[in-house]
Amino acid sequence: MGIIELQNLTKNYKGLKAVDQINLSIREGIIFGFLGPNGAGKTTTIRMMAGILLPTSGKIIINGMDLDKDPSGVKRCCGFIPDRPFLYEKLTGMEFLRFISGLYGLNNPEAVKIRLMGLLEKFDLLSWKDELIEGYSHGMKQRLVMCGALVHDPKVLIVDEPMVGLDPKGARLVKDIFKEEAAKGKTIFMSTHSLETAQEVCHEMAIIQRGRIIARGTVDELIKYSGVDGTLENVFLKLTEEEGTGYEKSLSSS
Amino acid sequence: MKNLFLLLSPRVWSLRNAFFKTSSGERKKAVIIGSLGLTFWTVIFILSSRILTYFQSIDVIGDLLAHHLLSMILLTFFSLLVFSNILIALSNLFLSADLELCHSSPSDIKLVFLSRWAYTIFDSSWMVVVFGLPVMMAYAYVFKPGLSFYFALFNTGIATAVIASGAGILFTMIMVNIFPAHRTRDILLLLAILLVAAIYIMIRILKPERLADPDAFFSVMQYMSALKSTDSPYIPTHWMTEILWEKLKGPDSGRYFFENVLLWSTAAAIIVVNLWTAGWIYLKGFSRSQEAKKRRAGKHILDLFIRLVRKPFKNDLASLIDKDIRIFFRDNTQWSQLFLLGALIIVYLFNFSVLPLEKSAIRLEFLQNILAFLNMGLAGFVLSAVSVRFAFPSVSAEGGAFWIIKSSPVSMGRLLFGKFILYIFPMTLLGETLIIVTNRLLHVDMTMMILSSVTMLFAFPAVIAMAIGFGAVYPRFKYENISQVATGFGGLMYMICSAGFMAAIILIESVPVRLFFLARLHGRELTVLQLGLIVLAFSSVFLLICLTIYKSMKIGLRALERYEKF
Repeated sequence: MGIIELQNLTKNYKGLKAVDQINLSIREGIIFGFLGPNGAGKTTTIRMMAGILLPTSGKIIINGMDLDKDPSGVKRCCGFIPDRPFLYEKLTGMEFLRFISGLYGLNNPEAVKIRLMGLLEKFDLLSWKDELIEGYSHGMKQRLVMCGALVHDPKVLIVDEPMVGLDPKGARLVKDIFKEEAAKGKTIFMSTHSLETAQEVCHEMAIIQRGRIIARGTVDELIKYSGVDGTLENVFLKLTEEEGTGYEKSLSSS
Repeated sequence: MKNLFLLLSPRVWSLRNAFFKTSSGERKKAVIIGSLGLTFWTVIFILSSRILTYFQSIDVIGDLLAHHLLSMILLTFFSLLVFSNILIALSNLFLSADLELCHSSPSDIKLVFLSRWAYTIFDSSWMVVVFGLPVMMAYAYVFKPGLSFYFALFNTGIATAVIASGAGILFTMIMVNIFPAHRTRDILLLLAILLVAAIYIMIRILKPERLADPDAFFSVMQYMSALKSTDSPYIPTHWMTEILWEKLKGPDSGRYFFENVLLWSTAAAIIVVNLWTAGWIYLKGFSRSQEAKKRRAGKHILDLFIRLVRKPFKNDLASLIDKDIRIFFRDNTQWSQLFLLGALIIVYLFNFSVLPLEKSAIRLEFLQNILAFLNMGLAGFVLSAVSVRFAFPSVSAEGGAFWIIKSSPVSMGRLLFGKFILYIFPMTLLGETLIIVTNRLLHVDMTMMILSSVTMLFAFPAVIAMAIGFGAVYPRFKYENISQVATGFGGLMYMICSAGFMAAIILIESVPVRLFFLARLHGRELTVLQLGLIVLAFSSVFLLICLTIYKSMKIGLRALERYEKF
């Protein structure tokens, strides 16, 4: 059993199937890329996994716990990074991280302080820690959200479009941190539009279109089974053009 | 002209869609709000008509009173219009998200300005039209003028609205060129609240109701001169008053043609001045308004206070409360409302201190106790009004950052409990202070003092739980400033339910209170049946309170757990 299990996961919005019977099993310690065109159901899936949206049907099991039955237990072992970094603008960066550590029940003030200072330094925000968040740029807010997601040292990171709004230096920093965290045994479930990022950092990936998984595998596997030469971009374009051509079946059986 | 219509079209289309492309739930809401509005409208019309009919029955001064009232009403509406234009112009001309699109388009800057002016007039004037129209219709009903009155009302109303909005917008443009727009908004909001609080206190202390009580004046001449003192002849509402009064009282001789010319020429002049000023400074101001805000002053006192508040709670609850307190004191739109609260308390207590109890025909002891009993309802209503400003928007105050709580291990129940804990102490303290101080001012006896303070000690948590619960059922995570949250449909429903809850408590408790005072009046002991009734009544109140707290939190919790629109 994988650390993340999605079983027949479905989400309907007023008759529209945003996510349609998704099944995924993701093993521990990898970076899993979740790709798809706009409106394919990536963010809806991710928000259901983060406990923000309720599924219409199906199960989400993370770290052996059912999100529906034990939401607090699941959330305690997950960190969530949304695509848009809405934060409490009237808190300082440090106050925000202290607040997050309170929400996740971290009780040792000294250990928390050391952890927070370390994260702020890692994400290049130390000199901004006592400034109100309303004065931060978009990229800084995004990096602060990432600090927040790592405060409680989660086993699973659920990330929606991590590179949006980051400058090249910030993007490099985030990619390196994700690789480092995966090497330490964390599982990262990441949606992205950036195929370059996916190709560079993801061990495995799935492509979703119109709410259904249409392909899954490593980059090499996807290239091989799509029968397209070259980059992930070509594979992506080919697969999303030819929706429902049986790739899912062939790849998952491989 | 075509470009101007193009710039206005997003608003027109949005309005059209709001009317014709709504869900059935929204249509129901619109029907409820519409019915309440119509009821309110009818009440204003009936009250105004009765006052004017009463004035007409008074010889010599009846017309003077009606004229004076018209002048006061128009002046009040004009001042409100100027002020609301100042605030709304800030959003429409400088802070709206769609302005970037307008300013980056090849549209002429003056056309952009004109389209935003039109938005501002619409946004600021509809409320005055809604509240002003029934009063004007009451004048028409009582004085029975000809058709020319309605034309004059339309004609002078538009000219006055243009003047008010022009003055407001000009002031805003100048302010934004001195301070950045975000700072200007903070300063203006603070000034507005201080001004409203000061005017409120001043009006109460001046007691304008004395005008309706000629006994309060030493002589008839003094009273007449107080009524005849009119407003300045240089302000637009004076011209509007005179024009409308001529149409109301007749004969329609066209005497006030000059005032009409004055109104329209002033409106035209203000359009020209504003366009000229906009060409000069509007874009500069808009550019300044895009600058980032800078940080706040020291925070040591706040830190100390929060450290004390956190102590009794577990880490997750303490963190929620800590965050809410910090945001409350750093967000000018939230803490500045404390000034209004202060004014409300001063006026509330002042009113009780000047009650002419000795003039009443009812025995003083009973009157004091009846007032103290009814005061429970009034205090409950005041607390509801305060809760709708502070506790009701507390869930919405999470704003776009609500995902943080939703994706954390903290349950929605814990979040609501945190909000409840945060508000229960200051609100109960406020409510109990009001009850105890007013009871002291009324010199009520100890029985009533205990009854009212204990009842309210239990009832206030229910009022607050309702505010939190309704706030969770009707959250609004996208807002420009938090004070808007209270004025929506949810706030209205909360106020209605809260008033109903207080009325139910007063009604149930009136049974034991009546029995108790009648027994005391006749010097009799209470019978066993009566004692049983008293126990039943108090138990019912207690049950009602517990049920209200439980149900409010429960429906709020269920709504938040299912909420997905953010």
